[in-house]
Amino acid sequence: MKSLDPRVNRLQSTVTGQGIEPKAALDQFGTFEVFVQPKEGKPFQHEGIVHAPDLELAYVLAKEAFTRRFTCTSLYVVDTHDVYTSPITEGNQSAYSLIEVPPTSNETKKSYEIYHLLKRGKQHLHAGTVEAATPQEAMYIAKQKFGSDKTIYNIWAIRTDTIRFTNPEEKDLWNTLPEKKFRDATDYKGGDKLKSFLERPT
Amino acid sequence: MQSIKELLYKIADDQLILGHRNSEWTGFGPLLEEDIAFSSMAQDKIGQSYALYQILHELGEQAPDTVAFMRNANQFHNCILVELPNGEYDFSLMRHFLFDTAQAIRFEILAESSFQPLAELSRKIRGELRYHTLHANTFIKKLGSATPESISKLQYALDFAFPYALGIFEESPYEAELIAEGIFGGEKTLKEKWIEKTEDIVRQTSLHLPDWQTLSPVNGGRHGQHTEHLQPLLDEMSEVFKIDPAAEW
Repeated sequence: MKSLDPRVNRLQSTVTGQGIEPKAALDQFGTFEVFVQPKEGKPFQHEGIVHAPDLELAYVLAKEAFTRRFTCTSLYVVDTHDVYTSPITEGNQSAYSLIEVPPTSNETKKSYEIYHLLKRGKQHLHAGTVEAATPQEAMYIAKQKFGSDKTIYNIWAIRTDTIRFTNPEEKDLWNTLPEKKFRDATDYKGGDKLKSFLERPT
Repeated sequence: MQSIKELLYKIADDQLILGHRNSEWTGFGPLLEEDIAFSSMAQDKIGQSYALYQILHELGEQAPDTVAFMRNANQFHNCILVELPNGEYDFSLMRHFLFDTAQAIRFEILAESSFQPLAELSRKIRGELRYHTLHANTFIKKLGSATPESISKLQYALDFAFPYALGIFEESPYEAELIAEGIFGGEKTLKEKWIEKTEDIVRQTSLHLPDWQTLSPVNGGRHGQHTEHLQPLLDEMSEVFKIDPAAEW
């Protein structure tokens, strides 16, 4: 169906392809995981994903997609492929109970960011940083360091050097955000205005 | 005082008109995330124009809404570049790059202005401008070296937009006064820094900058001489306001 808006072009439905072919890849960008620090001193939390052609553009697009409303002091992104995840558990079972001693590795140790899922359906929260040779080892070390008291339903390990962080000089990106109340529907006080209009003296 | 007012009007009008133009992409962006980002930056620009009109109001001019919505095209001081229709995304992106590079440098210079309200505003919005140039530079660098199609589209957009971009730096009758009083470093200085910065980004792509020394700038906007595209934009922008200019929003 043709749109009434001249700026909208829709693909026409026609028969394409010849015979039987392998399924084509989706014409889409890859995904990148977005992590946000809502306040200075608070841990980073997983906020969602963006589609982007590369890490730098993922950072640029994530900034407005995820931090255009609520306060934010820092943001980082990483390719979804660089996030290693543990099994997901339920009830009283901690995901750390499924992390076993990793095979010894001679690779040089790298830094990993460890994330915890403390409640099913909530965001993953940053728990700390460990040094390890592999993601498996990172989770095993995290088990000793952060795995004790609470039930953790899922663990993520992300190699620190694959992350696009906010540079110190970029910290001012969110300076004027607290003033942008016009982005919150509540700031328009629509209900109050309607009420005073309906109750106006006639 | 006239020199400051003229300076404020041209910067504010640039931001308002380009903010409105860029907002026309809302809902039509090339991908969801970019639609949001481009719309947010358009909103930033309108917010910046509001802050500048507010300074003008404190200097005795009409209230921001009146100034934004009740003037005719020939009373606007924006450069022609910002009023041109959006066309395709390649042009909008290139305009965003050329214009925001200049605007970021302009506010960088103004952060040292002897006119305090403008210096304070310039420092306050530094982060917004940082994002706008980060966004523009990243996209130009990526698409300017991606595929033959993306490169040729951007090159065409660059060649088309460039003479208009040179019109950003059309001089004001008060240049000497603004420089002498330490209010603003002047359009010439701005243009030199802009060429340098623009060349620096373009050099990292497969694009090439037109020979700016032989091109004549498209001037006139700063003196109220506009294309036929500005008045329809103003009519649409002020349509709701003009139904009841005294209404409280």
